[in-house]
Amino acid sequence: MLLPKFDFHEPATVTEACQIMAEYGVKAKVIAGGTDLMVNMKKKLVSPEQLVSVSRIEELKKIDTAGNMLKIGSCFTVADIAASEQIGKKWKALCSGAKALGSPLIRNLATIGGNLGSARPAADLPPSLMVYGAKVVLKKKSGERVVAMDKFFRGPGLTEITPDEILTEIQMDAPPAYSGAGYINLGIRQAQDCNLVNVASFITLEGPGGVIKTARIVMGCVGPTHLRAPSAEKLLVGEKPTEAIFAKAGQAAAGDCSPINDFRGSAEYKKAMVGVLTKRTLGIAYKEAMGQ
Amino acid sequence: MKKLIQLTINDKEFEIAVDPNQTLGDVLRYQLGLTGTKKGCEMGDCGSCTVIMDGKPVNSCLVLAVQANRRKITTVEGLENENGLHPVQKAMMEKGAIQCGFCSSGMILSAKSLLDKNPKPTEGEIRSAISGNLCRCTGYQKIVEAVKSVNE
Repeated sequence: MLLPKFDFHEPATVTEACQIMAEYGVKAKVIAGGTDLMVNMKKKLVSPEQLVSVSRIEELKKIDTAGNMLKIGSCFTVADIAASEQIGKKWKALCSGAKALGSPLIRNLATIGGNLGSARPAADLPPSLMVYGAKVVLKKKSGERVVAMDKFFRGPGLTEITPDEILTEIQMDAPPAYSGAGYINLGIRQAQDCNLVNVASFITLEGPGGVIKTARIVMGCVGPTHLRAPSAEKLLVGEKPTEAIFAKAGQAAAGDCSPINDFRGSAEYKKAMVGVLTKRTLGIAYKEAMGQ
Repeated sequence: MKKLIQLTINDKEFEIAVDPNQTLGDVLRYQLGLTGTKKGCEMGDCGSCTVIMDGKPVNSCLVLAVQANRRKITTVEGLENENGLHPVQKAMMEKGAIQCGFCSSGMILSAKSLLDKNPKPTEGEIRSAISGNLCRCTGYQKIVEAVKSVNE
């Protein structure tokens, strides 16, 4: 299967990469792991004239947990996220998402930046990143901006990234005390599968045995982008964390989404599964919040 | 325009000129004659093109040859040494884990990578490690048994 022809660039620094993107704009595409872009290029869905590989830029492969904050370079691989003790300590749901992505072979190539930039509504990393309140750093020749994950996706395959920008870093604060998060994805197979539904939930409690202070729920595969479940979140705040309220939140979340019928499953089934996964991920979040 | 790249393949140095749009898998097979690496789906789904790059198993159909510049590659041809076949290869033969053989190179490299990190994996760990390598003949059972038997 032949790839279209292109010129290949391999900048060593972000500054150099930004200059190339500024020069070529829409004619250029950034490639990192290539697990998504290479397939789309082989299928001739995209044929960039210029391909800019960022996988040799050392500053994009770093991870930093100083100052109660997590900063991940966009070229950090999914396999490294899945195996990272530093991330697993405070941002466990992100590791769950990383472990669920593709296969070991794909995870060794795929990067966190690529999983966000490709903007698939079924992607494994966005739900947990969104419930943790993550932000992304977009750099270009003339400066940089920070965009909240909630505002990053514009539609299937569409993001806030402009043609001259490069996604360089993902940032998120450490969750406050008595917080927890969970992520579950449902598919036909456990590996190499496009998710049918995926959900991440996050809660913060007033204290041990206290009521729920903050709740964030994000659902994937049930809309053009990953969606928050506002009515489920609202219902949880101020309530004691119980199985019953988690089940109720699940029903509310099912009402917050509008999935489509497709060959993977019916809209009705996906809605029902949003309910189940919301309830279960809240259960996982609660356990973590209680230090269990 | 072709680019000159350096690859260390199975501990041997190569310097070759490649087109930017050639995949690592194609260069291994068609330019270097290392046909042990198979081409199946070419979409990163089947794992038959698996090679070990800088210590990690990857789909060589998704890596551009130019991206592999200055990296260390192990293909299935690199596993045999003066003592004969690699223990994973021997186990696969002994347990009857090879039928048509198309998935075997990839399967063996994924299994080798697992055993290098984790010499006594559980069945679950084995199944997870080879989950990117599809086999349409064996039903996986004999492959799992073979990998399990290597360090037993």
